Amino acid sequence: MPDAVELRGIRKSYDHFVAVDRLSLNIHEGSVYGLLGPNGAGKTSTIRMMIGITMPDEGEVHLFGEKFHREQLHRIGYLPEERGLYKKMKVMDHLIFLGRLHGLHEQEAHKRSRAWAERLQISEWTNKKVEELSKGMQQKIQFIATLLHDPDMVIMDEPFSGLDPANAVMLKDVLIELKKAGKTILFSTHNMDQVERLCDSICLVDHGNPVLEGDLKKIKSSYGKNHIQMEYEGNPQLEGSPLVQSFNNYGNYVELRLVPGADPQQILRMASEQARISRFEVLEPSLEEIFIDLVGKGKRA
Amino acid sequence: MHNVWTLIRREYLERVRTRSFVIFTLLMPAAMAGIVFIPTRIAQMNSGGERRFVIVANDPKLAETVGHALAAPAKGPSGGDFEEDESGDTATYVITVATDTSDAERDRLNHMVNEGQITGYLWMTDDALAQHKVVYSTKEAADFQQASKLRYAIRTGVTKQWLEQHGIAGADVDQLLTPIRLETVRIEKGRKGTSGSTIFLTAFGMVMLLYAVVLVYGMAVMRSVIEEKSTRILEVLLSTVTAKELLAGKILGVGAVGLTQILVWVSFAALFSAPGLIAAKSFFGGGFHIPMAGVFAFALFFLLGYLLYSAMYAAIGSMVNTDQEAQQMQWPAMMPIMIAIFLMNAVIQHPNSSMAFWLSIIPFFAPILMLVRVLIEQPPMWQLLLCVGIMLATIYGLLLLAARIYRIGILMYGKRPTLPELRRWLRYAG
Repeated sequence: MPDAVELRGIRKSYDHFVAVDRLSLNIHEGSVYGLLGPNGAGKTSTIRMMIGITMPDEGEVHLFGEKFHREQLHRIGYLPEERGLYKKMKVMDHLIFLGRLHGLHEQEAHKRSRAWAERLQISEWTNKKVEELSKGMQQKIQFIATLLHDPDMVIMDEPFSGLDPANAVMLKDVLIELKKAGKTILFSTHNMDQVERLCDSICLVDHGNPVLEGDLKKIKSSYGKNHIQMEYEGNPQLEGSPLVQSFNNYGNYVELRLVPGADPQQILRMASEQARISRFEVLEPSLEEIFIDLVGKGKRA
Repeated sequence: MHNVWTLIRREYLERVRTRSFVIFTLLMPAAMAGIVFIPTRIAQMNSGGERRFVIVANDPKLAETVGHALAAPAKGPSGGDFEEDESGDTATYVITVATDTSDAERDRLNHMVNEGQITGYLWMTDDALAQHKVVYSTKEAADFQQASKLRYAIRTGVTKQWLEQHGIAGADVDQLLTPIRLETVRIEKGRKGTSGSTIFLTAFGMVMLLYAVVLVYGMAVMRSVIEEKSTRILEVLLSTVTAKELLAGKILGVGAVGLTQILVWVSFAALFSAPGLIAAKSFFGGGFHIPMAGVFAFALFFLLGYLLYSAMYAAIGSMVNTDQEAQQMQWPAMMPIMIAIFLMNAVIQHPNSSMAFWLSIIPFFAPILMLVRVLIEQPPMWQLLLCVGIMLATIYGLLLLAARIYRIGILMYGKRPTLPELRRWLRYAG
């Protein structure tokens, strides 16, 4: 099966500013892929080149096993970070308009909009103007517009930013359903938590450069089980220990990374001498840890 | 093509369905009718009624002759000659002749004017006539029509009396004093065409309509681009359509709205002014019609002018983020069309001059100036074709340029580009 997306060394620069620098990646069909990086790392520029909003200065974009051509866009649903709707248009007219641009016939667009509106419980609003809807309802309309033409691949740029909790849960459910249906999903985000929960593979970009790419599980296991999370009462002196490479206090718990070869049991003994421990867990590094480690401290998004 | 059609359809339907479009389209003809008819009505109301004059002269016969000329119903000649009695006055005149030229009589008349017993009096004593100066005293503000009517009456009276004193019989005098009517006829391809003064009015009206509609809809394109930027819908659209398709859909959709509006107005005008036109036809001596070539030229230059200016407005709209910024940036689009309006008079005066030729083939002026020339003098076909060719080439170039600026500009939020930045935008690939 061909990859849904294959980028071959794409590059985009504006004057002296290089937005994306020779980025290559492969997104397998049916996978959930995370494009990660701090703000301004080149995530949105990469997506824009992927779907022909801008053209790369160098490199090639292949979608569904073919070199990019515009008809492929009918197989893609894109929810940009900067998303909006025509305020004066009626909701149903708006959905039909966007559906037609994605290659649907008017009747078909109308039928599907109705079904989606019913499912997301906004049926009674379809005859209102967009500006009369609350922000949460407008977000629902944007999801529907992205998914109306039943795309084979869904691209979402910071999909959870600005979502109210109810809509966030709804979006997550819809995404899981899409994944089950074999659709490819591409996320772009700087929020590591969501990626860990949803993604199969990731690409970490920083300053336009790919820093890390591949299967999330493999990446994490390659870092080994050298991370410790613990909760305790007291004040153990662990930060300066020669066994500890890095130390993060998150308030409710601390997370520390051991130097290679260090034994976690030694840390446990040290800590138990100085404090009462209520939780002690040895685990793989969190994506955020890896991210900070690779991108460098003090540059967290 | 399918995308462009969908975009045009949305742009057109969303605009035509708004209440403001319906109201403006329907009210405009009413307002125009108001502007034309109400002042005429008011003028007619004022001029009606009874007017009392006293004519003071040493010679009662002269006073009577003048009074007769004044009271005679207006039967001035028609046509391009507005020199004499043309006031369309419907008032009845009551003339009293007085021969008492004493200061006491003058005081008494002043008093009567003050009290409103008489409209005014003419002081045309022998002394006054010798100095070629007659005083008309009245309480009313200066009224051109009244003054011109009085002047006409006095001149006619004095001339008539002088001629009769010198032995020319009354009937001959009347014959002699009937004004000569001058009718201007324009020769169009060797045939008798429309009279000169009406073609002026037609040209002026058409140019103003074109100017207004091109600017109104050019700005509508600009505002629409700004709206799409500020609502952040652009990137959603760009995931299926290209910036070029978006630009084409917008310009054509808004243009179609403009055409609809003009069509509605023209049909209204044709419907309601048909009786007026027939009346005007007799008034202007049968020469009042808008030539078909003029209508065709108007449609052509409206389309070309709109395409040219809306491309500029679209580029401006894509560079800015708010309407306020756009206000400051729209001079590159406003300036040429304003200059064309200023130059219009010079071209009307000398439509055949080489200056008129060169000005009218400048693409930014052509929609106004070439239209004026076509309406007034029918320039040679090669000039017209040259002009349209240059315009089409310019429009093509401008659209390419605007599309490039647009493509980059619509994705840029924040600071407005400087000129060097703008030059770099044009070089960016896709």
